[in-house]
Amino acid sequence: MSDLVKLKVDTEACIAGGQCEMIEPDTFLVDDDTAIASVIGTGSLPVDRAAEVIDRCPAQAISIVNSDSE
Amino acid sequence: MATATTAPNITDPSLYLEGIPHERFAEMRNTPGIVWHPYNDGGFWAVTRHADTKTVSKNTATFSSAVGHTNLWDLEADALEARRSLIDTDSPDHTRLRRLIARAFTPKNIRRWEDTVREITVDVLEEFMEKGSGDFVAEVAAPIPIRVILTMLGVPVKDAGYLVELSNYLVEGTGETQSLPADAFGNTTELRLLPFNSPASHALFEYGEALGEQRRNEPQDDLVTTLVQAEAEDGDRLSGSEYRNLFHLLIFAGNETTRTALSHGAMALADHPDQWARVLADPELIDSATEEVLRWSTPVLHMRRTTTEETELAGTKIGAGEKVVMWYASANRDESEFENPFKFDVGREHNPHFSFGGGGAHLCLGAFLARLEIIVLLQEMAKRGLSLNRTGEPVRAPSNFVHGVLSVDMEVAK
Repeated sequence: MSDLVKLKVDTEACIAGGQCEMIEPDTFLVDDDTAIASVIGTGSLPVDRAAEVIDRCPAQAISIVNSDSE
Repeated sequence: MATATTAPNITDPSLYLEGIPHERFAEMRNTPGIVWHPYNDGGFWAVTRHADTKTVSKNTATFSSAVGHTNLWDLEADALEARRSLIDTDSPDHTRLRRLIARAFTPKNIRRWEDTVREITVDVLEEFMEKGSGDFVAEVAAPIPIRVILTMLGVPVKDAGYLVELSNYLVEGTGETQSLPADAFGNTTELRLLPFNSPASHALFEYGEALGEQRRNEPQDDLVTTLVQAEAEDGDRLSGSEYRNLFHLLIFAGNETTRTALSHGAMALADHPDQWARVLADPELIDSATEEVLRWSTPVLHMRRTTTEETELAGTKIGAGEKVVMWYASANRDESEFENPFKFDVGREHNPHFSFGGGGAHLCLGAFLARLEIIVLLQEMAKRGLSLNRTGEPVRAPSNFVHGVLSVDMEVAK
């Protein structure tokens, strides 16, 4: 199994582009009222899929949670 | 510095009457660095590769949308201010404006409109099938998106015809010639202060303001109500000018671009019957077919940015205050990103097309609505086993900005 990384959304930067929810619907959800995305479920993805969703975010609001600082 | 001198001028609107100049774009993609392209008294850096387009689109601090204009020509400061919409802003203004209205366009809130989209699509499609042939643009591709956006906005049915007429004048405004006199619709504003330099914009502003006023007093479950009620946590609201320009943007963008995608989509499916046969045999391909229709059609050919500082792109030095133009039409055929880019492939797996922008903050607000409209049209065609034949050449828009199809005759295949 490939390594999993935990992801977070910068709620100040999010513009509700919805790309994260489209690509990874089990990991991201755009709230209908606040129009801000958040991490759902385990919030973790394999490294390659995490890289893809980070790249596709138009607001560059998704990043990997640094395990040392949590 | 590589300079295009004898090569076709990719800004010449008449060039696009024959379609996108793909050969010229391929040459530019294969030229090391970024090609400088003359335009009027100056010029711009023509970004034609997928990777470079993404770099420009994502770096909004260096490549600004708020300076100069997002079209090829510059606007004077007062005109830029009067015409400013979501498209011509950088953060924090862009983030603030976008968040005020983004709620209405989230994937889930767009799915709430699926029944409406389906009803309109079935209505339009069945009428076309009954007739058996006709201009696909006028009879199918144009009515679907305009009826959908007007319904979403909450425009009363009795006014739909008037707004369609105004919207068509705007489309004309993307070309070189205008058929309207400056004082049409009672306009007294200088044309250069109006979007697309069109007096029809004045009429749209007036209509939008009257409807907004009405909804402020009597709220309904529609987008105009959402817009006039939009308020951020800190009490921030849309200004009068922001509301006007946003209403205008939604009418234009919700109409012209999806019309283009549906027109090119229908042509591509008619011209590649093997690909449509794959969809008919396996409707699960509709999602990837929709993305391929989007890549293939590239409804908006380019967007411009202006550098705020000296920078370097693909090894080319670019000065501060220079125009940088992202040619999505070229990025969507970049052979280093797409396998076999000139093949229309409804099952394409890796398809990071730039038909909704180059990956940065200005990602098309209506992306999920446009997708829904294409998906529903393909679903309803597939459900009916409807195949189309093209019976004439398309009449294309003379525009270097929108990949418009003015008309194309099609018939229901027997």
